[in-house]
Amino acid sequence: MSFAAERLAAGAERRGRRPDALRLAAFGFSAIAIAAFAGLIAVFAFEAWPFFRAQGLTGLFGVRWSFRSERFGALPMIYGSLAVSLVAVALAAPIGLGAAVFLSEVLPRRARIAAKVGVELLAGIPSVVYGLLGVLLLRDAVARLLRPFDPISGDTLATGGLLLAVMILPTVVSLGDDALAAVPRGQRQAARALGLGRAETILRAVVPAALPGLGSALLLGLGRALGETIAVFLVIGRQDNQWPERLLALEPLARAGQTVTSKLGGSETFLAYGDPTHWGALLALGLLLLAVVAALSFAGSWVSLRKVPRA
Amino acid sequence: MLRARLGLLLIATLAARSAASAQPLRIVGSTTVNPVVVEAAEILRAEKKATIFVDTQGGSSGGIAALGEGRAEIGMISREVEPDDATKFPKVRFQATRIGIDALALVVSRDVWEGGVHVLSRQQVQGIYEGTVTNWKAVGGPDRRIVFFNKEPGRGTWEAFAKWLYGDPKKAPDVSHPEVGANEEGRNKVASTPGSISQLSAAWADQKTVFAVAIRRLDGKVVAPTLATIADGSYPIARPLQVVTDGPPKGLAKEMVDLLLSQRGQALVEKHGYLKTPTGGTSKK
Repeated sequence: MSFAAERLAAGAERRGRRPDALRLAAFGFSAIAIAAFAGLIAVFAFEAWPFFRAQGLTGLFGVRWSFRSERFGALPMIYGSLAVSLVAVALAAPIGLGAAVFLSEVLPRRARIAAKVGVELLAGIPSVVYGLLGVLLLRDAVARLLRPFDPISGDTLATGGLLLAVMILPTVVSLGDDALAAVPRGQRQAARALGLGRAETILRAVVPAALPGLGSALLLGLGRALGETIAVFLVIGRQDNQWPERLLALEPLARAGQTVTSKLGGSETFLAYGDPTHWGALLALGLLLLAVVAALSFAGSWVSLRKVPRA
Repeated sequence: MLRARLGLLLIATLAARSAASAQPLRIVGSTTVNPVVVEAAEILRAEKKATIFVDTQGGSSGGIAALGEGRAEIGMISREVEPDDATKFPKVRFQATRIGIDALALVVSRDVWEGGVHVLSRQQVQGIYEGTVTNWKAVGGPDRRIVFFNKEPGRGTWEAFAKWLYGDPKKAPDVSHPEVGANEEGRNKVASTPGSISQLSAAWADQKTVFAVAIRRLDGKVVAPTLATIADGSYPIARPLQVVTDGPPKGLAKEMVDLLLSQRGQALVEKHGYLKTPTGGTSKK
């Protein structure tokens, strides 16, 4: 019996039967959570089934959404979701990770905690408030900024991306700071002892060691951006069928668009109810969104748990 | 709709528990009238322990049919009772009670209004909607691109609009415009976007931030959406919100109709973005 196992057994004996009850309760509650998730997926799959039966999986991957002619191509919405989320992460990554480094490595402990409380407070602001701020502050500014691209209004994919960047910033900063703070003090001291300066210590020792955590901060930020509904809904313009001629061009960002979430947040669900195919198509969109966000969450956890190759 | 479904579940359990409350009140019809009636039904359920089913199967015509075939005590319709209805169900004395009016204004942004666009014909609106007219110059306005904010399909306003243009919302062509939802949103977007136009409940067209254009009717008459023109029916895109009964409403149906006409009911009508009925009153057909 290994030392660790002996200690575990001894601990269990000392605490008597209580750990079993505790473990049972923990197991029970976890099972409830997992069952709820499985049930959710089952309900979605069941309700989406009429659509898949009628049009198959390929029905979802067209470029035209027009429910009156029973066309449910979701690619423009998937493009919209990816575009706003990637813009958000591209903007939030340098600012958020930079702020995380500053918080964790530069600020004195007390100031760090104060700043962190502030940042986490930002994360708790309801998204509809961000959305209204976006309407109030961003729309006109973006319309002016993008004037060379001649947008019809300030409701564009870029506006959505910009707003999402602000919204995921707290997530990125807070998780990034956690990742940096988790780097053992010994590594910093070793780096300093080897004669590295402060900046070098941060860049060469701390950040590389925290890389998986920083990556997971970005992935979870991306997940939040993809799933965000109401704030995007308010500034995206909600224009269907905006499939760009060139996928990687920046110009379509200056146009109004639609994301998967803004479609699902709209009143089309009211219209679809009672029409199994249409309703099923919307539920299929929900399923798709669920899958993508879940995959990102898993990826985020996986990346942060991965071992860093030590140099 | 999900809420309606949950509501139904709730009613089902309530009904199962107290089958005592005699005859349930069944209400079927227009999705436009539905939200007002659903909330009124909630009040009646809470205050009178009444059993009420509200369903929107088949829309206005579904409401007429359900009433005609005795499957409902109240029909909800967002139109007038038409002669056709009476010929289909000769035994039923359709009595419509107007609970509100849904009027639709076409509102433009300030720059368009001040650029001289005060009147649009149906043909012009159709051209703008379908994208064949893309510059305000073509309809007597400034040289500026037209931005159409389309009311989301499924909104009563959009249905009335499509009905006015195409006779039947199902016949409306596929177009992709940026979409707006609630009246506040539509108004704000038009107010803040130069060169824009949208459909909006007339009650929200304040003539300060957004400007309702008058409609040039087919007979050449120019009619602006005012309370008076909406009420007398000369404004072309208005329609009554009504509940219909077979003869004068009785029992629980009467309580529902009375509630809808009361101050509380009329507040619900307003809450959902419709005009209160200026006259109220009933009409027999």
